[in-house]
Amino acid sequence: MVKMSKVDSKAGYFMVMPYLIYFAAFIAYPLIFSFILIFHRWNIVTPMEFIGLKNFVRLFKDELFFKSIINTLIFLSIHIPLQIVIALFFANLLNKQIKFRSLFRALYFLPVVVSSVVVTILWQQMYAYETGLINQVLSGFGFKKIPWLVSPEIAMPSIAVMATWKNVGFYIVLFLAGLQSIPNELYEVAEIDGASSFQKFYRITLPLLNPTVVLVIVLSTIGGFSLFIEPYILTGGGPLDSTLSAMLYIYNQAFYFNHMGYAATLGFFFALVILVVVIAQRKFIEREVY
Amino acid sequence: MRFFLVLSLLFFVLGCSFERKDDKDQANKKLKYWCAPNPEEIELAKILVDKWNRLHPEIQVEVQPLPAGQSSEEVLLSAIAGRTTPDVCSNIWPGAISEYTKAGGLVALDEFEDFDSLVNARRIPVELLESFKSGDGHIYQLPWKTNPIMLLYNVKIFKEAGLERPPRTYSEFFEACEKIKQLGIFPGYTDIRPIWWQRFFDFYPFYIASSGGKTLFKGENFDIDYNSAVKVFEFFRTCFKMGYFPITNFQVDPFLTGKVAMRFTGPWTIAYLERNKPDGFEYDFAPIPVPNDHQGKVYTYGDPKNIAIFSTTKYKREAWEFVKFLVSEYSDSLLLEICNQLPIRGDLLENRKFTGYFNRNLKMKVFAQQTPFTRGIDSGVEMKEIFDAISREFEACAVYGVKSPEEAVRNLIKRSKIILEWSK
Repeated sequence: MVKMSKVDSKAGYFMVMPYLIYFAAFIAYPLIFSFILIFHRWNIVTPMEFIGLKNFVRLFKDELFFKSIINTLIFLSIHIPLQIVIALFFANLLNKQIKFRSLFRALYFLPVVVSSVVVTILWQQMYAYETGLINQVLSGFGFKKIPWLVSPEIAMPSIAVMATWKNVGFYIVLFLAGLQSIPNELYEVAEIDGASSFQKFYRITLPLLNPTVVLVIVLSTIGGFSLFIEPYILTGGGPLDSTLSAMLYIYNQAFYFNHMGYAATLGFFFALVILVVVIAQRKFIEREVY
Repeated sequence: MRFFLVLSLLFFVLGCSFERKDDKDQANKKLKYWCAPNPEEIELAKILVDKWNRLHPEIQVEVQPLPAGQSSEEVLLSAIAGRTTPDVCSNIWPGAISEYTKAGGLVALDEFEDFDSLVNARRIPVELLESFKSGDGHIYQLPWKTNPIMLLYNVKIFKEAGLERPPRTYSEFFEACEKIKQLGIFPGYTDIRPIWWQRFFDFYPFYIASSGGKTLFKGENFDIDYNSAVKVFEFFRTCFKMGYFPITNFQVDPFLTGKVAMRFTGPWTIAYLERNKPDGFEYDFAPIPVPNDHQGKVYTYGDPKNIAIFSTTKYKREAWEFVKFLVSEYSDSLLLEICNQLPIRGDLLENRKFTGYFNRNLKMKVFAQQTPFTRGIDSGVEMKEIFDAISREFEACAVYGVKSPEEAVRNLIKRSKIILEWSK
């Protein structure tokens, strides 16, 4: 009996080996290496140089990095509410008995599976000041052209709208699942009590959707913090660094200036910021539901 | 038995071939030379290498354009990391030298006993040579060619606007702009993208001119001339604020299409303009405008590219002989004829070998006259990020006007110091 169990456990180790190798090569090793890099200066070419806490000293003096974090927070403050409102609206619609419901569900999910680079290049052409489709339509109706990506005030909201369009399908699916898990009896009782549609939504749907709302907020916060492809392709971080996201700044430090150690420090610090924000969100938004 | 027979035969064959290879190596030393990947320089390199190979059958050189990459500097850094560098490369940007030397990638050229005689023969200005010296006092790059940045202007538009000569000072420049603006044409243009190297064509040459030939560093310390930098930011701020320069990028060259009357560029533009100019299009070059109170010669950025030998070379002495050939009078005259680029040498306008070329190419003469009054880029560390910081301040102060020139220079100094303190 004892022998049997020994053989079993060996086979078990063998079975989990692919995952262990994957974990060691792609998660543990990069993480440990990045942690070591925090205390070093390394430009890939010259040997690593131990510099103690110098990377942190630079980080706390780096105004541009803090500006990039503020830019990311601005993006999140537009992107998350917009995403929740739009996703909830469409999830509600798609939860009703409408014609071509499956087709619409698939259509709204389409941008999620299309490559971000392709979507961004498409929007870049639509946002173009002189030749872009949106400005041409606006001009056609006699409105002034809008400098979507050239104005420091409008560029980040433009990116937030684009990112919402790209990701909203995923959150619609989450909300749909949440809506379908709400028992119908609750609505029936509310109807008997004479509740209006708004009251049903505000008193039943919204409270019972709280776990999904929390999930959507947490997921889109983490996703939003890693904003990179959109500003990298659309604006390069400009104009006036208004779309320089924290991830783009970290990328520039690592692969544009070859400051691997400093970029690793920024990366760890930024992960800490995300952790704090997510914990705060859960603390303030999460509610017990029945 | 048969197995051993086959094995011994194999050893015999391999042994013979290795022996032969060694013999070949002894008789025929091979050098690899990387040139810039533009068609003119590839053509020049092929002609020079052909001649060298005919003259030196014992040292054969193989030419290859710099492999494709985001920039030559990144390609060379990767090559140093992978120890796949060539023996010689002629597209060395002085701003990246310190990174190459820090990685132990280059051979100190001043250690060759005939280095001084070579430099003297080319009559390279002493202060220019000094500016290429690395922090450890050695010279790892041989000054090769320069492309001074100057003011390019449309002669016809100038005539229409009633301007008799190109502007020499900031006031003259603004007066000219006012007159040109009345014709419905943008007086000037510079690329507004905040890309670090873009400032080599506006802020940096203007700063060198305004400061009387100063660069950004003194030794290893960031030592920007505050007043000169403020004046330059103020100048560009006025240009954008008054609508003299458009805050946009053009799809088609605005200078060739007559939408813009002035630009700041180097001599490579001549070949481009000659190829593409419409009938009757006239242009000329002039020194970079300077502040009204400027005294003395007008300096500019020389955009130098130099030659270096990499420490991976097996044949240091032979590589040095090849480098000497690359900067000979013969090679320099071909550099002028084929590439329209100026060799860094003090006798450009006096040496009879080049007289014919300058008589045929009068516009290049203007650049040749400017050559002794050029400055390169400091070979300090983190030049790329410092120019990135300049670009950000340029965008904020000059293009969008949200910072005053004083604030922009103060921010630039502050950020540069943080970058340099970290890198020490």
